Amino acid sequence: MSLKIVLENEFPPSLSLEGRLDSGTAPDLDRMLDRVLARKGITRIVFELGKLEYLSSAGIRCFIRARKAIEPGGGKVAIVNPQPAVQKVLDIVKAIPPGGLFKSIAELDAYLDDMQRKVREGD
Amino acid sequence: MLFWILAVTMPIYLAALYMSYQATADRLEQGAARDADGLAARLAAELDIVIRPIEGGIRTVAGQLEEVNPPREQYPLRIHGILAAWPEVYGSTIALEVRDGDAGAQPFAPYYFRRDGAIAYSDLALATYGYSRLEWYRNAADSQQPVWSSPYFDAGGGETWMVTYSVPFYRKPAADRREFAGVITADLDLKWVQAGAEKLDLGPFDLGWLASPPSDQAFVAPIGATQRHIAARPTWLSDAIRGEAEKMLANGLTFGLLPARVGGEPAYLAVRRLSTLDWRLMLVIPRRQLLAEARALLHRQLWLGGAGLLLLIAAISFTASGISRPIHALAESVGNAEEGNLDFHLPESTTRDETGVLTQALRRLRDSLKAHVQLRAESLAAQSRLEHELQIAASIQQSMLPKSNADGLPRSVKVAAALVPAKQVGGDFYDYFALRDGSLLFAVGDVSDKGIPAALFMARVTGLLRVLGNTGTAPERLLAEINSRLVEGNDACMFVTVGCGVLDPTNGLVRYVSAGHDPPLVRRLDGSVAPLIAESGAAIGIDAPVEYRQAQGFIAPGDTLVLYTDGVTEAEAGDHRLFGAERLSKLLAAHATQEPAGLVHDVLEKVGVHSADFHAADDVTVLAVRFCPPTVSAQRDDACERWRIEAVGTSGGIRQAQQWLRTILTAREVASGRIADVELICEELLTNVVRENTADGGRIAIMVDCLLDRDDIRLVFRDAGAPFDPLARAAPDLAQPVEERAIGGLGIHIVRELADDARYSHVDGQNVLEIRLRRTPASQGATP
Repeated sequence: MSLKIVLENEFPPSLSLEGRLDSGTAPDLDRMLDRVLARKGITRIVFELGKLEYLSSAGIRCFIRARKAIEPGGGKVAIVNPQPAVQKVLDIVKAIPPGGLFKSIAELDAYLDDMQRKVREGD
Repeated sequence: MLFWILAVTMPIYLAALYMSYQATADRLEQGAARDADGLAARLAAELDIVIRPIEGGIRTVAGQLEEVNPPREQYPLRIHGILAAWPEVYGSTIALEVRDGDAGAQPFAPYYFRRDGAIAYSDLALATYGYSRLEWYRNAADSQQPVWSSPYFDAGGGETWMVTYSVPFYRKPAADRREFAGVITADLDLKWVQAGAEKLDLGPFDLGWLASPPSDQAFVAPIGATQRHIAARPTWLSDAIRGEAEKMLANGLTFGLLPARVGGEPAYLAVRRLSTLDWRLMLVIPRRQLLAEARALLHRQLWLGGAGLLLLIAAISFTASGISRPIHALAESVGNAEEGNLDFHLPESTTRDETGVLTQALRRLRDSLKAHVQLRAESLAAQSRLEHELQIAASIQQSMLPKSNADGLPRSVKVAAALVPAKQVGGDFYDYFALRDGSLLFAVGDVSDKGIPAALFMARVTGLLRVLGNTGTAPERLLAEINSRLVEGNDACMFVTVGCGVLDPTNGLVRYVSAGHDPPLVRRLDGSVAPLIAESGAAIGIDAPVEYRQAQGFIAPGDTLVLYTDGVTEAEAGDHRLFGAERLSKLLAAHATQEPAGLVHDVLEKVGVHSADFHAADDVTVLAVRFCPPTVSAQRDDACERWRIEAVGTSGGIRQAQQWLRTILTAREVASGRIADVELICEELLTNVVRENTADGGRIAIMVDCLLDRDDIRLVFRDAGAPFDPLARAAPDLAQPVEERAIGGLGIHIVRELADDARYSHVDGQNVLEIRLRRTPASQGATP
């Protein structure tokens, strides 16, 4: 029962989390985030939480850290498909703004497409 | 035997003797009667020879007188003729009738008689004599018939016994008239009768008389030697005897016993009435004399019989001893026999009688008994050998079972088990051992049937369980594997039900598989008992391949798993009540200590008491596993269960504490969402404590109490660290942009949000944080 972190996509980075994200495993995610955030021009980080069973405040801190790192630069953290228990914790601490939560990858993709269209139209 | 034989033969013999004597006596009496008849006939004949011619002659003379009617002067001539013709005639007369009307008639009666060898004359017509009035005349005259007078003694005349024959005679005065003319008489001198009687032989008789009918002057002629005999017997009264004879004749009897008063000794009297003169013949014979022959015969027979009896006794004694001696010998030989010594000597018997047959039969009996005794000794020896082997088998079987304090068991479990076989060896088994990963494998099984076949099969099953179980395969695969191996070559068609489980001592997870076995019971800390629901598969040994389904469940620290065989629930009492699962559950629920050893002991004891008055029908096996991890203590309060988890302030320690809470709450069927809340609270608070206290790199011990009642989950966190009230911290401003937010305080916020109540206190140098949650959330809580 630990945390398994899979970097699904290098750019923009997409991290699939499986298992427990708690005070014990949060350092692992932090290390991964260090690596990911080390790169420049990251505007989006996607956390795939479909297989994450447990999330504690330690884990939430990782998400907040990611937000802190990229949001000032106009970046965005997207949380995809959190399970109810995880969703509950996220809700309690309101760590992710409503626009950052997506039910599925497809929903995220649709959202991103929409955003791109808006940007192009805006240009 | 002799007595009985004599008792039977003696009466028969005596009866025969008596009958023979009686027959002889009867025959002798009849002989005497015949002799009397003969004597009477002879006497009658002798009398008749004399008397009949005289009667005829006198009557002829009477006829001549009527025909011729001679003048009375010729009468003497006629009388002379009579005397001349019959010497026995002593005297004779012709007496004329004198009628009253015949004036000229004179009595006329010349009487001629013998005297001194000559004929003498006497005139009876003397007026003084008056013959017409005398008996000899009147009898004939009145009766107009020839008449014999009674005998009379002629005193003054012949001085002898006489009897007179008087015949009336007639005359014919005219051709058609016939009138009585007088009487012709003949006097018979009875000397010849006396002489004749004396000359007669009395034959067998002792006394005898010829006698005239009784009158004043009875004529009696003793017969034969009577006179001499009577002289020798002064007690005999001849007159009285003759009196008796008359009485007999009056009664129509001819033969009988004389009364004792008339004779000196018992005697028979025979009487005959002669046709001649109506005289009587009386004969006496003493009984002794008559029956002498019979007595002689009786004596002879007695002697002969006595000798015969003696011979009989001798023969019987001889024969009896011939039978009884060998039987005696046999009895003595057989009487000495006893079970241990059947070598008693039997007499050699070659005879073909009953004794011989009996001896042969006894010999055969002895020999077959000997053979039987030997056979029994052998079978006893075989039985005791078998018994011994069974004992060894039983001890081997017991040794196959794990010892209660087996090495290598996880510290988190306490296990106890017991097996009471119905026979010496049984088909039940139990086993438990630690797997390589530290889990505990436990199993209970019940082989079909009992006794040695079951025990052998059981040995195979436990062997396979040990070998295959140690590889750490999941229990469902373990049973499937054992099954496929046992089905192979299971010609005896044995099968076994097995309940097999693996307990992970780190988290109380039980994986359980049933192959046709009763589900185990979970005895919870609070005393409730519930079966561990598991889908049961086929019993092992019947079919292959079989797939088994594994059931999973947590047991909380302090809970006890109880496995048993149907020998427990189906233990039968005398009244056929079964022990039953319900009774078992109640027993487990009521048990105070929950120590597995005590629990097992109690179950066996209660089952034993239940079926005490009934034969043990089945093996009885109980296995109890109590889950008692060292870092979690469990106890029960009035209304709640309470666990105390000793957590170590490391991420591992926190994880472990979380795990225990998860285990406990899962085992108590708390909803998984709620369990997640509890886990989260636990982590947030523990990490907080750790963060506050381990800045200097040290470690801190934290105690987490979990109290569970019907409604609430209460968590109490205690640590001896620096006093610190996390609840005092202000809640983070979640509305702030993320960049400006403090990174801390989120955990406490979560705790606050999830808990229904949270309070801090500092007691005895300890931070005490109490959290209360409803078992089921009142609403969806903080979820928006």
